[in-house]
Amino acid sequence: MYRTLNSHVPGAGPGAPPLCATGPVLDSAHLTVLAERARRARELVVDMAATPTGCHLGGGLSVLDILIAGLDRAGRDHTELVLSKGHAAAALYAALHVSGLLAENPAPRYGRAGEPYTGHPGPKVPGVRFPTGSLGHGVPYAVGWALACRLGGRTGLGIAVTGDGELQEGLVWESLQVAAAHRIGNFVLVVDANGGQNDGYVADISPLPGLAERFAAFGYDVVELDGHDLGALRRVLAPARTTATRPLAVVARTVKGKGVPAVEGRAAAHYVTITPARARQWKKAIR
Amino acid sequence: MEEGDPVSPLSGRDAYRAELTSLAGVDPSILCLEADLGGKDHPFAAAYPARFRNVGIAEGAMIDMAAALAVAGFRPFVSTFATFAAMRAAESLKLSLGYLGAPVTVVAPYAGVTGGWFGTTHHCLEDLAVVGALPGIAIAAPYGEQETRAVIREQARGDRPAYVRLGRNGAFDSLPWDGDTVPPVVWQGPARSGDRCLVSAGEYGTELCVAAVAAEPGVPHAHLCWLDEPHLYQAAAELAGFRELVVVEDHRGWGGAASALARILPATSIRSVAPSGWPAHGGSAAEVAAELGLDLPAVLRALALPHPLPHAA
Repeated sequence: MYRTLNSHVPGAGPGAPPLCATGPVLDSAHLTVLAERARRARELVVDMAATPTGCHLGGGLSVLDILIAGLDRAGRDHTELVLSKGHAAAALYAALHVSGLLAENPAPRYGRAGEPYTGHPGPKVPGVRFPTGSLGHGVPYAVGWALACRLGGRTGLGIAVTGDGELQEGLVWESLQVAAAHRIGNFVLVVDANGGQNDGYVADISPLPGLAERFAAFGYDVVELDGHDLGALRRVLAPARTTATRPLAVVARTVKGKGVPAVEGRAAAHYVTITPARARQWKKAIR
Repeated sequence: MEEGDPVSPLSGRDAYRAELTSLAGVDPSILCLEADLGGKDHPFAAAYPARFRNVGIAEGAMIDMAAALAVAGFRPFVSTFATFAAMRAAESLKLSLGYLGAPVTVVAPYAGVTGGWFGTTHHCLEDLAVVGALPGIAIAAPYGEQETRAVIREQARGDRPAYVRLGRNGAFDSLPWDGDTVPPVVWQGPARSGDRCLVSAGEYGTELCVAAVAAEPGVPHAHLCWLDEPHLYQAAAELAGFRELVVVEDHRGWGGAASALARILPATSIRSVAPSGWPAHGGSAAEVAAELGLDLPAVLRALALPHPLPHAA
């Protein structure tokens, strides 16, 4: 699945060549590295579901590939990735760890007294700059970061990763408007469109028909892709967009609980607490 | 004075704009953000257009964006009316200035009922309660041009988040103080002891206390520019010798300076002169405040009340 509403989006399209400087062969090898990171991170997220507190498992597994690709992108310049859907904190901690940005394994520390690994992330965690979890705030943080890159003459993106339910927050659209009006073309919004939210399905609670068209109407370049395709994610995030005047919105279609068959595609997987024995079973089945 | 020269003293918000524009000439990290209430002829926009952004009517986004700009190394100053900063964007203040501690300065004119006939939606009698409950944010309510400029200079030098509370178009000469920075207590005149002391907070509260001292010379008057908890503890140390403080503020009695001082100084009698109820009618700022019970007669009545009992042994 790959659809663009703007034919001029650099790096867009399923047949587009890899945009990394290392070329197709090494790019393929790097994709293997990213896939292995994603697999290990899924194991850690399952481990965090097996802590006494449990975790937001379904949305953590849906956003995980976006985080792996986004953190990989962030290491190349001044790009900052902000997880606006902060309830997927377990996935962020896991992704930071397997990406080499967080030294200690967060899983055994998740939710525990005296540890910074709270259910929604904050700046006490190495690799996390902004507090998120009250939905919407990560978007203006990323817009501000992108503007800072432009004003400071630095190359980098401000990437906000939101949920699709999160798009019900007014602050999201307020901030998207500002980014478009100020032509902050190095701002990138990635929507983890897993179709679920706390109390059920987005389609039942507050549907988002024509989502890609809405972003286009706001003045955004728009790409719709498979949010579990690391290659597609990597391609669309690769350009530095240093001269872009339109921000980029990426609608990443994902599956809640992705990679863990017991919960994949199940709305009930939003928040999960499991036993260590079950975690061992689930980790063996990760795909 | 030549035609076109600025009128002196400047109002608080004009003093802010003038001082920030001056500071930006020597500090390229200073940014100025407005949410469509900065006026069409903002001097910063004219002098440094690349570092000025009118983000539009988007207060929460502005404050969060400013936090990111601050984390990236800039020194952003943002401004919108007090009620839109402290109430509409309260969560951004909590997360970005409070928890994150990003060195953003929020400059908030139209505090209290200085909007006069603008009506309830544009008044803000609750900002000290909201922002004062958020640890780590300095709060200043300067009185007059010189204090406003000094507060802005101090914010440009430092790395702490702050909320700066201003009025509308009221223009005053500040009470004099010694030093570069505004101290925790600015005294009006030499009287600094006695049984009872007037304590003022906020631009209009201070204006009323200055008028009260003119009516009753010799009454000590302590003006508090800084209204966050650490500064109030410092101020309280200077005020602890009085048996009674008459606290006058253009903010609700609950959550303002009076209630904070009552908590810090449990052995001191605290009388609060503050507006109550909802400002639902038109009029000048003074007329609206008077309808809510905040005017010079109210201050003088409080001063005329029987003295409290002596300090307990």
